[in-house]
Amino acid sequence: MSVLQQQYRNMLNRYTHGKALVLLLALPALLIPTMVLCYIFWQAAPVLDWNFLFGTADGIGFGVTEGIFSQLVGSLLLATMACLIATPFALGTALYYRTFATPWQQQLLSALFNMLQGIPPIVFGLCGLVVLVNLFSWGVSLLSGAVVLAVVVLPLLALNTLATLERIPNEYSEAGSALGLTKGAIILRLWLPRSWRQLLTGLLLAMARALSETAPIMFTATVFSGVVWPDSIFSPVTTLQTHIFYLAQEGNDPLLISIAWGSAAVLVLLVAFFALLARLLPKSGGN
Amino acid sequence: MVADLRHDDFLQAEPAGPLESSQNQPSAVLTVEKLALSLAGKEILQQVDFSLSAIGVTSVIGPSGAGKSSLLRCLNGLESGWTGGVKIDGNDIRQWPGGWDQLRRHVGLIAQKPLVFNTSIRANVCFGLHGWRQRRRADGLVKASLQQAALWDEVADRLDAAATTLSVGQQQRLCIARAIAIKPKILLLDEPTASLDPLSKQLIEQSMLQLAQQIPLICVTHDLEQAQRLKGQVIFMCDGRVIEQAASDQFFRQPQQIETREFLRWSVCDCD
Amino acid sequence: MILRWWLSTSALLSSLTIVLVFGFLLQSSWPLIQQQGITFIIGDEWYPFESLYGMLPALVGTVWAVALALLIALPCGVAAAILCAELLPAQLRGAMRFSMELMAGVPSVVYGLLGMWVLLPLLESQLDLLTGRTLLAAGLLLALMILPTIMVLSEDAIRAVSQSQREAAKNLGIGWDAMLWRVLLPQAWPGIRVATLLATGRAMGETVAVMLVVGSIDRIPDPFYNFLQPAQTLTSRIGREMAEASIGSLHWAALLFCGLLLAIIAIGLSLLIQRKVVAA
Repeated sequence: MSVLQQQYRNMLNRYTHGKALVLLLALPALLIPTMVLCYIFWQAAPVLDWNFLFGTADGIGFGVTEGIFSQLVGSLLLATMACLIATPFALGTALYYRTFATPWQQQLLSALFNMLQGIPPIVFGLCGLVVLVNLFSWGVSLLSGAVVLAVVVLPLLALNTLATLERIPNEYSEAGSALGLTKGAIILRLWLPRSWRQLLTGLLLAMARALSETAPIMFTATVFSGVVWPDSIFSPVTTLQTHIFYLAQEGNDPLLISIAWGSAAVLVLLVAFFALLARLLPKSGGN
Repeated sequence: MVADLRHDDFLQAEPAGPLESSQNQPSAVLTVEKLALSLAGKEILQQVDFSLSAIGVTSVIGPSGAGKSSLLRCLNGLESGWTGGVKIDGNDIRQWPGGWDQLRRHVGLIAQKPLVFNTSIRANVCFGLHGWRQRRRADGLVKASLQQAALWDEVADRLDAAATTLSVGQQQRLCIARAIAIKPKILLLDEPTASLDPLSKQLIEQSMLQLAQQIPLICVTHDLEQAQRLKGQVIFMCDGRVIEQAASDQFFRQPQQIETREFLRWSVCDCD
Repeated sequence: MILRWWLSTSALLSSLTIVLVFGFLLQSSWPLIQQQGITFIIGDEWYPFESLYGMLPALVGTVWAVALALLIALPCGVAAAILCAELLPAQLRGAMRFSMELMAGVPSVVYGLLGMWVLLPLLESQLDLLTGRTLLAAGLLLALMILPTIMVLSEDAIRAVSQSQREAAKNLGIGWDAMLWRVLLPQAWPGIRVATLLATGRAMGETVAVMLVVGSIDRIPDPFYNFLQPAQTLTSRIGREMAEASIGSLHWAALLFCGLLLAIIAIGLSLLIQRKVVAA
């Protein structure tokens, strides 16, 4: 056997098999994301146009009439309200963690938030149904949905805020207290200017998350049709997520399915928009 | 044809390394010709030439940034962007059968900062062996390697303890045991005793002297006294070149080159 | 002091959330426990109209779906992570990570749509099934959904293995494969483990997508390893039947108990995750 052959066989045995195996196993992960996205947009292409985006269903059409504007607005409204509700709590908790909490409380808080993050969103949906919809008699409404979604994004926001505040070095705040600043002034004049970008990033990510959740709002906030615009926070809404969900099960009408694909594409774009914005934000400024 | 045979020898002679055989037929000879290395546009090594006899310690000394560590990294292929020729036993290391990984089985390198894998002491010593069956049945080898690295007495009763529980000095000796367990033809040491306690330093030097009776050792060091203690050859490097190579006694008594004298005077002043 | 009041209140309320969630779930499902004892958990018959609320079918279905998803996604995700961290050039790596992050952002209902209109017909035609709504479909879909979690976190873990570790192994003449098995994967294992646990939690709690493809038949697969049969998971049961159950009925209580079970398992998982974080 020549040296070359020997070398070749040696190489083959020692490295190539492992690498080939890794490549083979990873192949689905390489291909599927692109395939999935392409497929969604390919299916959505026929219906995606101006009318589809900004038309509204006339209320009796049972979602058949193209036009998803009211669903789009409903989704955004719910997500925005959820983030608005969750932000003060998340921010407050994170600041408490950094300022007043004893080590024991700190451990407890972070453990609790990690647990909260692990609980499936549908469980919050159930609780919302029991407590908000029935016990508080808010009914299936914008408000109930927003509160439930707020609980879903709360751990996300709080943990992100925590991580951001952790990154502020201690000397930085000590320099502040050395100047005689109160805790409030330290927060307002030292911490927030330094970390608002990351906080905004967290907020955008929370928006993206809130937009992509379906299960928690299914019983608490949304109806399939009959509502075009919510007239108060106690009226139900229609959202893109649930729109897709209901349309997906209407098997016999190809038009409905294509509307579902169209809505899916819009939803994906919407979520990706917020996620991308969150990614790009810190780079634009920096500290 | 002769060369072919030698290559095949290398492939099969893995376990029967030089530790046993080299006493009667010292064979490992290293020649370095015109070795040059530049990293990120900076010339680290320029035209390094030297050759090593079969056994014994060779200390490499020189000011910081002289390229001493880079030289070692070139010799075992951690840096592969160099030019020039390096031959071990007359074989170009670039054409080593099996590539760099196989080469590194013959050219061990001990880093300055000991790094043990976070498994047991025994598993650390066996880490370089191929195949779990071999690793499982390596008790004799573990003992021999640890003895050679002057660590056996301290860990004999707790081979299955976590290696990270050892002191830094012990960890460094464990690294040496780990490297000699795969029976290299040459052992490179990159400031093995820098920042170690005196006892470990002494033990490591003893074990180096012992090892040097079987295989060639190249030891980069900042400690001139250590270079004297280790005897053997001394190579003085400066600015990526080999300035002088001589036997230890002669090197320290009458250095030939002007740079060497400068360096030695400086260092002696430093000590005072 | 307003600041202190705000901070403490929000901290208190946020941490009370979890207690409240448990409290309400337990309180609402209490009638069922009161009436039937706790043994219905291992009952294998779920017929709400005959007041039979055996949890076993949905539990088995959940375990199956999650196990299938992990079985598919774990090798694939870890391999992708290795590929990304060790083999791909930097630009490709960035592209792959980006596509994974995009994928992680795709809402679950969109996956449901995909599952229903792409995966189900595919399974029906390829495996010659009466209906594609099977545990396998749920497993495949869940695998797709947890793949990004596993891949991204594992890649971080593998890249965090220090250069000196790698060099120390290289110095022993260890080849790429052996390095992978004996240095990279063991070192990255805590990270991969956390990724797996997180993915398990996510897969278990996924509702909408699973609901659309799992078939929602309350029956333990027969034989139990037959994953080509329709089944039910805890989440899909809640999603399917919540709207039908009348408030305050036993059925309602049973569904809330499903939620309680989910929450308990989720807490267990997050305790597992956190213990490792503390240890490492």
